[in-house]
Amino acid sequence: MKPTRALALVLLALLFSWVGQVALGYFQVGKLEPVINEDTNLPNPPTPSGFAQTGARIFASEGCIECHSLSVRGPAGSADLTRGWGPRRSVPRDYLFREPALIGFSRIGPDLSDIGERMKESNDLMTHLLNPRKLKPTSTCPPHPWLFDLKLAGHKPENDAMPVTTQDWKQLVPSYKAKALVAYLQSLNLGYPLPEAPLK
Amino acid sequence: MNRNQPSKSSVASQILIAGSVIWSLLGGGLQILANLQLLVPLLTYFQPLPVLGFGRLVPASSFLLTYGWIGSGLLGVLMILVPRFSAIPFRHGRLLSFGAIAWQLAVLTGFTQILMSGSSGLLSLPFSRSVTLIFFVSFLVLGTGITRGLGGTWKSGPLLPRLYLLGGILAFPLGLGTAELLLRSGTAPGAVQIITQLVWHSFVHHLWLAPMALVLIFQLFPTLTGRAVSSMPLGILAWGLLLTAGGWATNSLASQGPVPSWLQSTGVVASVLLFVAALGNTVLFQPLVEGRMDEIRRNVALRFLTLGSWSYVASYAWMMFLSLPGVRQNTAFTVAWNANQSLFLFSFLGSILAGSIYALLPVIKNLGWPSHSSLLWHFWCTALGTAMTFVGYALAGVLQGLALNDPGVPFSTVASYLRPFLVVILIGQALWLVGQLAFSSLFFATLLKLFPFTAPMAVFPSSRPQDTNLAQAQH
Repeated sequence: MKPTRALALVLLALLFSWVGQVALGYFQVGKLEPVINEDTNLPNPPTPSGFAQTGARIFASEGCIECHSLSVRGPAGSADLTRGWGPRRSVPRDYLFREPALIGFSRIGPDLSDIGERMKESNDLMTHLLNPRKLKPTSTCPPHPWLFDLKLAGHKPENDAMPVTTQDWKQLVPSYKAKALVAYLQSLNLGYPLPEAPLK
Repeated sequence: MNRNQPSKSSVASQILIAGSVIWSLLGGGLQILANLQLLVPLLTYFQPLPVLGFGRLVPASSFLLTYGWIGSGLLGVLMILVPRFSAIPFRHGRLLSFGAIAWQLAVLTGFTQILMSGSSGLLSLPFSRSVTLIFFVSFLVLGTGITRGLGGTWKSGPLLPRLYLLGGILAFPLGLGTAELLLRSGTAPGAVQIITQLVWHSFVHHLWLAPMALVLIFQLFPTLTGRAVSSMPLGILAWGLLLTAGGWATNSLASQGPVPSWLQSTGVVASVLLFVAALGNTVLFQPLVEGRMDEIRRNVALRFLTLGSWSYVASYAWMMFLSLPGVRQNTAFTVAWNANQSLFLFSFLGSILAGSIYALLPVIKNLGWPSHSSLLWHFWCTALGTAMTFVGYALAGVLQGLALNDPGVPFSTVASYLRPFLVVILIGQALWLVGQLAFSSLFFATLLKLFPFTAPMAVFPSSRPQDTNLAQAQH
């Protein structure tokens, strides 16, 4: 085999991998658009706030994706729906506004595609970030105290101070990062119908 | 070129290999630390620090092992090997040393960024754009150096190593550049980002690292055993299959979700084709070691290369097994895929890298290794450690998958099922680290000439008549 022919074959094979998957994938799922809900006149999937988008980056940087997936499977051959991880399966349109778009490949922790619906209270999510075992004693999730600031409490603690005992009149207040992360988690829900994945 | 003559690339290859040894220890250590947290979650409550968080340790160790240990190491041994099989010496030694230092700088920067500020979350691209840039500059220098003269001497040596080298050297920059453009410049929307990540992950493992390891297999096996590869058409067919299917294999990681189902099916087909390619290659190199058990026992380089080549086919067999639709729906999202990493990264690539260093480092330093028995410690600890890790992950993954798909099993119970296997995995990883520590002490002792050399194992000693016969057989 001549070197030029080998070079051409290698380049062709590499091109085939990218074009075959990304370009064809783009034509199939890259041109999807949100569906307008006729009752509310709002788009599905809902557009996340900028704060939630910031939270998505913190979700990625804290490595939550190493244990949690973001993809609910349908009833065929999986128990995702029965476990209550979502009201329906995840489809490509659900990821339209995700930046970065992640699905995760490990389920040491539960799937979080619908966590905004399962844990609606931001206080619960904050408590989980600070001390996962407080809400669920068997949780293997590590605590994230670095997402909270220890401040002087003054006369009375701030409204969003965590209900934990601290020393020296101090209070534990969620940082900007913790608030953004919670906003992102709250934005994760599959409770809207899509033509290709209607609600049960 | 005198094959024992110190080349201008020897400093660069020493930097790359020394870096690889250090990163392997660090990556292996962090991996143990992460799994220890999984086994005893309360540990994370004692002194919670962001840099020691599970979510940072896992991508950091994975990055170190892929780009630091295997990536850097394979580039280092290829820098020793290629000028010798092409008989064209490198020029511009300082430039190559700069490339080698830049690679280490990229690994160090990426590792520090992941630990301090967290990973990007992207599959096989956990580092920032600045690290990509350093990798690019470094690879431009090293890759150009390695492939220099390849075309000019194309007909004067064995074809298969050259074909794999061409594939591996081109796949990295083209794959990294495309992934970077698509993922971080807003070009790929939503689910296309996920497809892009899967393609890039395939590129790293099957089109960059695996071909570089196959260059070493197809060059060193004939050299060490004195036998030539029997069927060139079969070799070219396997090469073609690997290149064609390599970029598609990771699609089988996805199970339903945002990845179109036809792409998931192509992932299954690609996994089968890659296994067929691995089988084809096994048919080629099995006769090279047949009846050579005594030599394999005696020669630690050959021993590692044999283990690596068998792990190569085993890792693709395991990947194909996990990709099968009936199996995949059970093992998706489980640690069964970590078992694949144990086989692929640690057993296949790690063994080929170790064997190649044992065989090739003495060539540039013109020396041997301190003691043969201590080399065996390296072999047995890493081999047993990897085997334990694989078995632990495989069993844990299958059990985890069955439990996850049984709605009657509470989720907290699923996590507790992993514990006994985590103990086995941790022992395996600790054993591997002990082996790697033994190797690193030997390596640095050899480099610094701290001990008398009692086990010389140069691959290209011109005085050996056997090698002369071999060179004739290959040409």
